[in-house]
Amino acid sequence: MEKTFDPELIRAIFKLVWSRRALERDRNEVTENLEGEVGAGTSKKNRPTTANANALKLSSELLRLFITEAVQRAASIAEAEGVDKIETTHLERILPQLLLDF
Amino acid sequence: MEGSRESDLEKEEDDAATEILRDRFRHSAISIAESEAKTNDMDISPPVMVCIADLAFKFTEQLAKDLELFSQHAGRKSANMEDVILCAHRNEHLASSLRSFCNELKGKEPQTERKRRKASRKEDKATSNVLDIS
Repeated sequence: MEKTFDPELIRAIFKLVWSRRALERDRNEVTENLEGEVGAGTSKKNRPTTANANALKLSSELLRLFITEAVQRAASIAEAEGVDKIETTHLERILPQLLLDF
Repeated sequence: MEGSRESDLEKEEDDAATEILRDRFRHSAISIAESEAKTNDMDISPPVMVCIADLAFKFTEQLAKDLELFSQHAGRKSANMEDVILCAHRNEHLASSLRSFCNELKGKEPQTERKRRKASRKEDKATSNVLDIS
C-alpha cells in the first residue's frame, strides 16, 4: 500500500501556522491602534484560515510528491554514479532544481 | 514591557506543539522516503532521509502560508483544492499530477473501488485467453 501523510496531521500543522499568523495580525492591529490608526471590521477579518477535507488530502499528496521527487531525483544521480545507496552528495545535486520546482 | 511574559508563554506552547507535530511528520516523511527508495531499488542513508523530512516540514509551513494568501485573495476564509493546485504552479508536471488526483477525489467512486474493478476486468481477460488456448 502506498505510503502517504495523514491529512489530519497536515491539518494540525496548518492550524498551527494559521493561528500563529492570526495572532501576529492581532498584535500588529493593537500596535496600529495605539498609533492612532483604526482598522475597520478587523475582528471579522482576523478569524484564522481553514481548509476543506479535499484540500487537505490534496495537500498531503503534494507533500508526498515533494518527498518522492526528492528521492527519485537523488536516486537517478546515484544510479548514474553506479552506486546503490543515496547519499547526501546526491541530494545536494538535485536540491536547487527541486526547490525551484516546488 | 507589559504582556511580554504572556507572549513568552504562548511562544513556549507554540514551540512545544510544533516539536510534537514535527516529530510525527518526520516519522511519516521518513517512511515515505524509505518506501520510495525501495521502489527505485536503492538504499538511502539516514541523514538524507532526515534532511528531506525537515525540508518537507518547512515546505508544509510555507504551503500553509500560501494557502492562506491564495484563499484570502479569492475572498474566502477556507482554502480549497484550487488553492492547493495554485501552489504547484511552478512546475507544470506537478500541477497536472495534482489536477488528476483532484479529479479522482471529485469522482463519484473512491479510488480503491475503481482499482478493484480494473483488476477483475483483467482477470476475466486472462481466463478467456486460457479457454482459447485449449
